[in-house]
Amino acid sequence: MKYISEYRDPHLVERYLAELHRITTRPWTIMEVCGGQTHSLVKNGILQLLPSNITMVHGPGCPVCVTPLHLIDKAVHLALEKGVILCSYGDMLRVPGSKMSLLEAKAKGADVRILYSPLEAVKIAAEHPDREVVFFAVGFETTAPANALSVVHAHRAGVKNYSILASHVLVPPAMEAVLDDEEGIIQGFLAAGHVCTIMGMDEYYPIVEKYKIPIVVTGFAGGLGAGYPHGSGTTRKRRIPARKPIQPGRASERQSRGPQSGRADF
Amino acid sequence: MCLAIPGKIKSIESQYGGLVRMAKVLFGGIVKEASLEMLPAAKEGDYVLVHVGVAISLVNEEEAQKTFEYLREIGELEELMPQE
Repeated sequence: MKYISEYRDPHLVERYLAELHRITTRPWTIMEVCGGQTHSLVKNGILQLLPSNITMVHGPGCPVCVTPLHLIDKAVHLALEKGVILCSYGDMLRVPGSKMSLLEAKAKGADVRILYSPLEAVKIAAEHPDREVVFFAVGFETTAPANALSVVHAHRAGVKNYSILASHVLVPPAMEAVLDDEEGIIQGFLAAGHVCTIMGMDEYYPIVEKYKIPIVVTGFAGGLGAGYPHGSGTTRKRRIPARKPIQPGRASERQSRGPQSGRADF
Repeated sequence: MCLAIPGKIKSIESQYGGLVRMAKVLFGGIVKEASLEMLPAAKEGDYVLVHVGVAISLVNEEEAQKTFEYLREIGELEELMPQE
């Protein structure tokens, strides 16, 4: 794909970093919301490249590690039921329940399968009409539609032996919880591009307004700055302007507005 | 599970008796199936962002170019560009 190499031009990155050092005049503590961003910051050495007075704090937690204990217990219970095929994302299998993890249930003979997509679980259900297939559907806004789509697929295909155990969570309330913490030190967020691909950015304007903090939506691929962004149905990196008056009922206009030009407010 | 990865649509097919539109998407050397439910207009050769088996947005080269230009803008333009 074109334009990846341009983002990874070392000379450009060097000059961009020099500029970043030049304009960073006071300490910043910024939280990247998604583990994918953390991965990219570490893998590409961006943490070391940033000015020393910019501190990155890693995320409010992934949907896997914030899954309530009782739901993991339910998943384990279902997995151990006779005739059940329990499917989930690979990340979910090692998370301990109060008695055991899904991986341990698998070791005890449960039919637990790791899938890349919930849509694959519907296929398994169609192939095994004599079994009950349950998809343990965890995820943020990005993943919830795919989990729901699997139910739509099952309905369209007339598959009756498919169900989901849902545990979906939202990103903005997690961000607000971080900001509401009296001991909180977060002064800005890198929001996750693929969440905004699904949800748009409207939810972030009230947060920017209420807490007076900047939020930048980025993707995960390394390179120039935070990298090649995926977001909002486009691929551009968007800065949500702080102190922008909120105009109720004009969401569509806000949505269509392009990124603000001018100097980044680091 | 959390990542969304861009890939190129290799082919498009109907499944479950034409009720579901799926694409074979090429990620480097790996081909995976992805639902086109969210992108009914997607066609062969398009780049799409795929998350847990669902194509969630189109990624086009024009937008990538705009992104690049925006990055130049916020870095105050030409002074950050590589010397020709």
